[in-house]
Amino acid sequence: MNEFLHGLQMLVSTPLVFVAIGGLVWGILGGAMPGLSASITMALLLPFTYTLEPSMAIVMLATCYIGAEYGGSIPAILVRTPGTNSAAATVLDGYEMKRQGRAGEALGISLWSGVIGSLFGLLMLMTLTEPLSRIALLFRPTTYCALGILGLSVIASLSGKSLLKGCIAAVLGMMVATIGTDPVDGVSRFTFGTADLLDGVAPIFAMVGLFAVSELMTRSGTSGTEIGRQEIRLRLPNFAMMKKLWPAQAIGCVFGTLEGLTPGGGGAIASFLAYNEAKRWSKNPERFGKGAEEGVAAPETANNTVASTALIPLLSFGIPGSNSAAVLLGGLLIHGLLPGPRLFEENTDVIGGLYVGSLVATIAQLAVGFLILPVCLWLVNRPRPYLAAFIFALVVSGIFTLNMALFDVGLVLAAGLVGYLLRSFGFPFLPAVLGLVLGELVESNYRRSLQLSGGDIGIFLEDPIAIGFLVAASLIVVGALVREWRDATSKRKVST
Amino acid sequence: MDMNRRSFGGLALGAVLSGPAISASALAAAPAPVAYPHRVVTLVTHSSPGGGSDVFLRELIRHLRKYINATFIIENVTGGSGARSITRVAAGKPDGSILYATTPTYIYASLMSRTPHTFRDLEPVVNLFTDSEIVYTRADGPFRTMKDVIYKAKTARGRWGAANPASLERQAAEELKRQAKVNAAIVSHEGGGDLMINVLNGTLDIGVGEIAETRAQLQGNKIRVLATFNPARLPSFPDVPTIKDLGYPVVMEKFRGLAGPKGMPANIIAIWEQAAQRVLADPDYKRAYENEALIPNYMAHDRYAPFIAKFADNTTQFLKQNGVIR
Repeated sequence: MNEFLHGLQMLVSTPLVFVAIGGLVWGILGGAMPGLSASITMALLLPFTYTLEPSMAIVMLATCYIGAEYGGSIPAILVRTPGTNSAAATVLDGYEMKRQGRAGEALGISLWSGVIGSLFGLLMLMTLTEPLSRIALLFRPTTYCALGILGLSVIASLSGKSLLKGCIAAVLGMMVATIGTDPVDGVSRFTFGTADLLDGVAPIFAMVGLFAVSELMTRSGTSGTEIGRQEIRLRLPNFAMMKKLWPAQAIGCVFGTLEGLTPGGGGAIASFLAYNEAKRWSKNPERFGKGAEEGVAAPETANNTVASTALIPLLSFGIPGSNSAAVLLGGLLIHGLLPGPRLFEENTDVIGGLYVGSLVATIAQLAVGFLILPVCLWLVNRPRPYLAAFIFALVVSGIFTLNMALFDVGLVLAAGLVGYLLRSFGFPFLPAVLGLVLGELVESNYRRSLQLSGGDIGIFLEDPIAIGFLVAASLIVVGALVREWRDATSKRKVST
Repeated sequence: MDMNRRSFGGLALGAVLSGPAISASALAAAPAPVAYPHRVVTLVTHSSPGGGSDVFLRELIRHLRKYINATFIIENVTGGSGARSITRVAAGKPDGSILYATTPTYIYASLMSRTPHTFRDLEPVVNLFTDSEIVYTRADGPFRTMKDVIYKAKTARGRWGAANPASLERQAAEELKRQAKVNAAIVSHEGGGDLMINVLNGTLDIGVGEIAETRAQLQGNKIRVLATFNPARLPSFPDVPTIKDLGYPVVMEKFRGLAGPKGMPANIIAIWEQAAQRVLADPDYKRAYENEALIPNYMAHDRYAPFIAKFADNTTQFLKQNGVIR
């Protein structure tokens, strides 16, 4: 708490407010750009922080992270393209709401949920860093493998009409995840000898291709130049809606906290799991996928919670909880700050600034949202050909600037073609994305576990958390199968 | 850009570790910047901003300005596991206007795939440092010395960890396992953070990594340093034996230096050789790099080129032995 009070003084004695809002705005813009993930947005900002004071530099990076996690939901809702990995789950109900002409409402819910998630994560960071940091140490390779399997069990809720097609799409994603340097032995797999594929296919590239490019291709196939009919006003949830959303948001907070503490996933697992659980605990699960407000609230709360809780293992051990936290670690190191217990004792201005700066950014998020969201809504209301051309230019230039590599652009366009084919045959995308994100987590940690035990699969039984995850995963899978079977039999009854 | 796959730690500037001063060179006495044929010199790295080589270069140029009269800019050419940055430099003019920050990564990237350009297309100019590579275990664990670790691996089965699959650390661990004739699983991870968690929670007996990646835990007394893979004892840990001291002929030299496009003129190389010696002796820079546990290891051009060639041969052999490449 002392750090917090110290941080409050910094509000007037330093340019904290400007730095926090600057970082936030940059983060939102970067997060909203399809192709720029949160970590890349932060890496682009990093050189600009070299000349700032250490405490200000850290505030700017942390608020940029908060902004990017929120910004990713804007294109997810408006143009069906998640701006960041962790906004993928938001596409399902967010874009559906937009199709129903409720884009302003969906953006309001995502903004509100982002604020709730940030506040909760910040509260955890300020009060429970010490006890929560111990959880990070409980995760072994077996635990990570089980966590990944738990994540994969969500496929059923993302599959839409056909569970079989969902599973096929997921396997496709997992196959793509094997491209690149083998995470355990270092052998190059399916790279065709080129260095461009050594790092594998980044999930964000696959997502931009699958969602944005395939959507543009589909649209170009239909005639008509009608103008979008979205309400331009951003609508924050009213009191009744807030009451309706809170269970979904609470679920998001819990998964966001867990995910932030455990290095590896980076928000994507949290938002998918939160979506799945919000659907399961909802009174009307059948509304999910058809524009349910909770379907936007749960993942958006989860990924914004991660933005704060990922700092817990970072600040207490120097171990980043996500790729974005790894960039923040780079920022700390460049300014000569070493994470660990002594950071809290010796650099109260950094910690205090971080707390208060994040709080300022969270509140400012509402104001910034009110300023930029109407502009975004206006943009998607332009005639469709212009909009499609604009998005294409945005996507291609964004991807190209990342590494200045035409190869990446080709990769995204190829993913777009795959997406177009999947769409034509009625396959859902999200299981493929999930398979791509989780494939490596499951595979590498499974192999590591077996290396540790010398090939004995019994090592999983020695890890109680892993057992818990695996039991939960099997319950979810069995539940989905039972539902599928019940639906199938009831359909048969109707038809006879 | 996957940060976790790379070692995230890099170099830090905090004031924790300090060692005995290295004999100062007389060259540092009267610094006057040497004239250079280019006004702007581009230093390329495969690191993203904040990564290991990026931090190294940024600290270096702060002091290099005193010795070479030029403006240095850093270009982060990421992607392709380092291959893109090699191409960027190899395609540049060999006139001293563009240089590359070398680390073992550029050898690995060249050997592991068919890249348009390889380390053979670059001319090693000078070497500056060797990183401090240590073997560490958790402080409250059962291992007090390296002997305990070897004993466990001999009598039962050891569990050793390295940060990345295609890395010098894994190469060193495999080599030690072979030389000590023990039974150990060598588990590679997705970066230093991942590895550290598994050492701290007792999943692994030991981890092999750079000091820079383990400093938060060293400072908090969470880990114990058992040995170093460096050729000599570390100035910051004079009591910690080298693996060679323990009777196993395994040495790891994680180098940091500069390379340029093939065909650089001798006079440019001479300027860099002189400047490298002078900057290493600079008291301000010395303070900074000693804090980062970087060990000065100056190699002139005529020593550095054969060193890199030998390093590449050893690495090729290792990768072939382990079935990584054919």
